[in-house]
Amino acid sequence: MHIIIIGGDAVGYSLAKALATQHEVAVVDPNPQCVNRFSDLDVSVITGRGTNPDRLRQAGITSDSLLIAATSLDEVNIVACSLGSQLGASQTICFVSKEDFLHAPGGTQHLKEHFGIDHIVWPDAQLASAMERVINVYGAINADTFAGGRVQLVEFLLNDVSPLINRSLAQVSSLGGVVLVALKRDNKTTVPHGETVLLSGDKIVLMGTQEGMQRVRDDLLPAHRDDAIQLVTIIGGGDVGFRLAQQLDKSDGIRLQVIEENQRRAELLAQSLKNGLVLRGDGTDLELLESEDIGRSDVLVSVIGNDERNLLASLLGRQLGVDRVVTRVSHPSNLRLFERVGIDVVLSAHGAAVASILHQIDGGRASLLTVLEEGEARVLDIPVPGNFSTSLVSDLGLPNESVIGTVLRDGKVIVPRGEDDVRAGDHLLVCCTASAVTDVRDLFS
Amino acid sequence: MHLINVFHIIGGILRFFGVTFLAPIVVCTVYEEWNDIPGFVIAAGISVAAGQALLYLTRTAEDRLRQIEALSVVAGVWLLLALVGAVPYIWAGFGLIDSLFESMSGITATGATIITDFETPSHGLFFWRALTQWLGGLGVIALVVAVFPRFAVGVRRLFAAESAGPKEEQLAPQIRQTASYLWQLYAGLTVTACIALFLVGMPLYDAICHALTLMAAGGFSPHEQSIMGYGNPMLEWIVCVFMFLAGANFALQYRALLGKPGVLLQDDEMKVYVGMIVLAVCSLFSLLWVFDGGAGSVRVATFQVLSILTTTGYASTDFNLWSDQAKVVLLSLMFIGGCAGSAAGGAKVLRHVLIGRFTLAELRRTLHPRGLLPVKLNGKVVADEVIRGVLVFFLFYILTFALCAAVVIGFGADFETGITASIAALGNVGPGFGDVGPMSSYGSLHAVSKVVLIAAMWIGRLEVLTVLTILQPEVWRHIHWSTYVTSRRR
Repeated sequence: MHIIIIGGDAVGYSLAKALATQHEVAVVDPNPQCVNRFSDLDVSVITGRGTNPDRLRQAGITSDSLLIAATSLDEVNIVACSLGSQLGASQTICFVSKEDFLHAPGGTQHLKEHFGIDHIVWPDAQLASAMERVINVYGAINADTFAGGRVQLVEFLLNDVSPLINRSLAQVSSLGGVVLVALKRDNKTTVPHGETVLLSGDKIVLMGTQEGMQRVRDDLLPAHRDDAIQLVTIIGGGDVGFRLAQQLDKSDGIRLQVIEENQRRAELLAQSLKNGLVLRGDGTDLELLESEDIGRSDVLVSVIGNDERNLLASLLGRQLGVDRVVTRVSHPSNLRLFERVGIDVVLSAHGAAVASILHQIDGGRASLLTVLEEGEARVLDIPVPGNFSTSLVSDLGLPNESVIGTVLRDGKVIVPRGEDDVRAGDHLLVCCTASAVTDVRDLFS
Repeated sequence: MHLINVFHIIGGILRFFGVTFLAPIVVCTVYEEWNDIPGFVIAAGISVAAGQALLYLTRTAEDRLRQIEALSVVAGVWLLLALVGAVPYIWAGFGLIDSLFESMSGITATGATIITDFETPSHGLFFWRALTQWLGGLGVIALVVAVFPRFAVGVRRLFAAESAGPKEEQLAPQIRQTASYLWQLYAGLTVTACIALFLVGMPLYDAICHALTLMAAGGFSPHEQSIMGYGNPMLEWIVCVFMFLAGANFALQYRALLGKPGVLLQDDEMKVYVGMIVLAVCSLFSLLWVFDGGAGSVRVATFQVLSILTTTGYASTDFNLWSDQAKVVLLSLMFIGGCAGSAAGGAKVLRHVLIGRFTLAELRRTLHPRGLLPVKLNGKVVADEVIRGVLVFFLFYILTFALCAAVVIGFGADFETGITASIAALGNVGPGFGDVGPMSSYGSLHAVSKVVLIAAMWIGRLEVLTVLTILQPEVWRHIHWSTYVTSRRR
């Protein structure tokens, strides 16, 4: 497939890197320095603006082109998509950072007709939602829900005193109702097996029913009560911080405070929040953090638009005694560093967005529910075809790096064991590593 | 300030006001009270002639109205209308100051009276008394703007200066349309009230007079014993309902009537207004139970709370005879008043809401010195200027009240009388306690006290700042008849 990426920033680069091996990729960016950045990839770089039809033609736009507008300016992205579809691109994907025009009358149909936009990707909103999920599930470092909330996916970090460590999976009896679907150890994500022994420092991803998950959490975090009110401090009231604050502001179980440096932005926040407290000041100013007793917070979210200051704010919060620190990282290369210095949850602004685009291009019949660990593992929803003959889970012959988390059958959620069967018409929620995706998909096609 | 612009508009309003004297003349004719008709004719003559003369003298007025001129127009109009409106009382034999007191009390919808003898005055005079309250209740300038859409330049400024509440509420893009909607609602409610009162057994003439003063939150009654004189519980409940409406924001009621009743529940001021009524009724009822040997029923408590809170001033019982514990509830209500944008007077519930929230925010600021703690109303941030305006309002309101009380007490009234008379006049409530209780009158006060109370009613109706603004020395140093250019040419 021929793919044109407008904008050579971090997002453009991540996309190009992921797509360049299998597709023909052209990047359009006005900055001449951009060529250097992309020199390690097999892509063509055109210097010029994505809103210029000549540049798009130069990038080789044809009727089977996919155009991805991923600059930081919404207006440029919209114009580029509009222009691209006019020049014949078969599909356009538009990155946005503000929601204003999403609410235009007519919805997505309107976007398609008037702007030629097929898909909207809104990384800030995805990130804000991801952060909200993490905050709402106590003790989790990542969380998601599927099948209308009946299936939960939660990632935990195991510490020295965790009751699960130093035992093989087969020995852990408390895991009834949930399945351990992924394990991250030493920066490598795997799908574990019965004989895997859990260690302190492991990150484990569990999938299962709400009740099952509740039991596991009671074991892992015995002291916690779910109905306790959490104090959440957000540092940075930018696009992500603002959205997150608005979502958390509605929740009864959360007391919210937001620290924002810019006076006008802070006023805007204070205006839109009903209950939350807005403080004006620098989130990396220790004096402010101390005078406001930030250490009392149950969760500290740092979403300043700059990785260095985010890191500083997170470390200060940690130092002051905050239990859980959630941070956004803009440059994927900084992610490891953040994790190494002990920040619990690091979410990348573009990780989820990039992964969802990749899946959109390569996904086929199985739909992607979520990605784990920057795309190293994925959760897929695979419909079992009608001509499939019933067989036991253990007889399916699933690839090594994959596991069935839950089976959805006639509106029921089944957490499968080896002796359960898979029937035609079921939906399987499968977790697998990136390399196993194709094998899993082929098994049910 | 250019007086030519000010008097041009005042002239127009005076001329219009002359027409309203026709109504009491009609009433006099019906009751064949020929003696009082000349008083109304003279008043109408003065009004129309003075208005016409002013219009002629100011025919070269500018096509603009400055802020200070708008404030002067409003302050001047209310004073002049009170003067002209006093003429029929003078004709009927009342003293000069008493007539002016009754007239000002009427036009400002206060309801304080100097009349002690309710037998002698004619039906026409009592009707006129009620009519002035009705005209003043929602605002004279609003009425003129509503009736004559092309009335004058600077309508928006005039309208805002007359209803100087902390928020400007518009039902339509144009202010004259808004004024017209509000008056339609006001008139509609008055007619409904009149029919309701008539249906529960009030004589037609009394029903009309009461409906006029009821919707205006005025409180004048042609009956010596106010509503108590009718001894009709059903009637009292109906009056309660309409007092509640008169004290609630009319713009809000208009929207609710247009099919969005939800707005009533969402409005912060409305919630506090209702909450305050419930709280006051409960506490008054229990205090009456404990200290007055069960003298009051729920109906009596509800009636009196609504009557005082909405600054109407009717009495369904002589609350002057109650214990001090019960009276203090009513005294507190006098300092609150009705909703902004209603016919009620007082400091307004909205201002109390804002000042309360501002105080809480300031208290909280000591905990969070770097916090942004905006005062919000209905989910929207209230600008700092508005809060400052409210603070200044309260400052001057209390100051005016204290000065007024000092004068009234200084001229021989006792403490209870002096304090309640002052707040009842400044808040446009009407009756107070002591010598100015609901079954007595202001007639016994010293002449100087009456003059001061007349000023208090005027200042209170225009929400303090309008009058005080034009009293600044700087304004008086720069008064010109016309623009500099015209005067040089002359």
